[in-house]
Amino acid sequence: MAISRRTRLHIWFRLLLLQASWNFETLQGIGFFYALFPGLRKLYSKEKLPEVSLKYIDYFNTHVYFAPLVAGAVLRLEEDRASGSVAPEVEIEDFKEMVAAPYAAIGDAFFWGGLRPLAAGVALFFAVKGILWAPLIFLLLYNIVPIWIRTVFFSRGYHQGLKSVEFIQRHKLPDLAIHTKETAVVVLGGLSALMVFSQLTEHQLPSWLGMLTLIPMIMLGLVARKGFSTLLLVIITVSTIFLLGLFWADVVQLIVF
Amino acid sequence: MVLGLTIGALVSLICGLDRVAILQVMISRPIVAAPLTALLLGDPMIGLQIGVMVELLWLARLPVGAAVPPDDTQVAIAGSVLVIILGQSLPASGTELLLLCLFVTIPLGKVGQYFDRYARQYNVRLVKRVSAALSRGSFLAAEGQHLRGLISFSLSSLGTYTIIILGGWSVIPILWPYVQQPLSYSSSWMQLAFPLVGITVILGTINVSRAITLFCASFCMAFLLMWLV
Repeated sequence: MAISRRTRLHIWFRLLLLQASWNFETLQGIGFFYALFPGLRKLYSKEKLPEVSLKYIDYFNTHVYFAPLVAGAVLRLEEDRASGSVAPEVEIEDFKEMVAAPYAAIGDAFFWGGLRPLAAGVALFFAVKGILWAPLIFLLLYNIVPIWIRTVFFSRGYHQGLKSVEFIQRHKLPDLAIHTKETAVVVLGGLSALMVFSQLTEHQLPSWLGMLTLIPMIMLGLVARKGFSTLLLVIITVSTIFLLGLFWADVVQLIVF
Repeated sequence: MVLGLTIGALVSLICGLDRVAILQVMISRPIVAAPLTALLLGDPMIGLQIGVMVELLWLARLPVGAAVPPDDTQVAIAGSVLVIILGQSLPASGTELLLLCLFVTIPLGKVGQYFDRYARQYNVRLVKRVSAALSRGSFLAAEGQHLRGLISFSLSSLGTYTIIILGGWSVIPILWPYVQQPLSYSSSWMQLAFPLVGITVILGTINVSRAITLFCASFCMAFLLMWLV
């Protein structure tokens, strides 16, 4: 029995609530069961359903935007298993375990490590200029890819089942993640230059001074690489600026009087 | 004032849920949450300024697996509420008050980390309840338990928001007369320092070979272009 388009849509919407019960024991396990339940209910009898459902509340963790791909493929495998027409090449539980971690790693690198800083960097260009549309620009830039992935990958997962793994491989997402991160670094470099240049212009200071900003920035970057917390770096930087400001004010006062 | 705090709490709840529990469309990012809060309170530019200063700070802390970063969403929302409301009651306005609010609220973002961890720990109980419900064939109850997880995350967001607001409310009016003048000497430089520190942290932690070279090249190119133009 094939799962109807309406049920699949229902599952897709439920995947938006995947992490509602995120916990340290099964992570997204309950959420994955919750999302797939409308499909499972169509495939299994009332007697068999508790046994099948219980298998789904175990540990499960993948990237939230790739969960629809896994869900689609699992749905197809469940369809095959329920109908008994096709001998499963791999157990559904094994498949989930096999793909969840690599998809999580790809998703974390691409979305959290690459796309999010990139979209934030671009939006901040507008925000620094005082353009109130900046938040909308961020939302638009960031969400196009996740919405596409959540929708198209779910459909691919359902139609291709196990072969959806090859679909992911074809897209070379790990390479794309690296390129996105590199672009983010370039954008953040430009953003830093814009902020420093605007500040110097505002205070009518010579522009070449801005190049000196690179020295403390690289030093702080290296310190951050050693594992120092952001909060500590903020406190150190802001306290230094605060003390320098006080010192400079005293110097100006001495010169005036 | 009560209306302002309530609006802030509502935004805190919705954006807080977007952080982990539902959607993840990034309305929880400070660049969105702070201007949204400030817009509802009637001064979107303050929110935009806070968004710029907070957005990049913890962006490098990835919510990978069980890792929980500090709650920059609530810092941005509570910071915006505090600046706007205190700006009306204190003889104060401008960048200095905004900076003082952030100095107080940013360290309190760590509280959000503890609340979030506690919510996730609390949700472990749901696993047993769902299992019991499924064993007795009560599917509706099992689905309901999943949605109950939203309560933990909602309380975590509201708890963080309340603590930041209370912390700011009790400390800022006391500190303000002492720091207003000293802050004015360096406020614009401090305002610049926040996003730059965030960028350096991203630069230090991003997993890209030659990140510093790329960054410096881009910085110099952009800087020269602006200088020439």
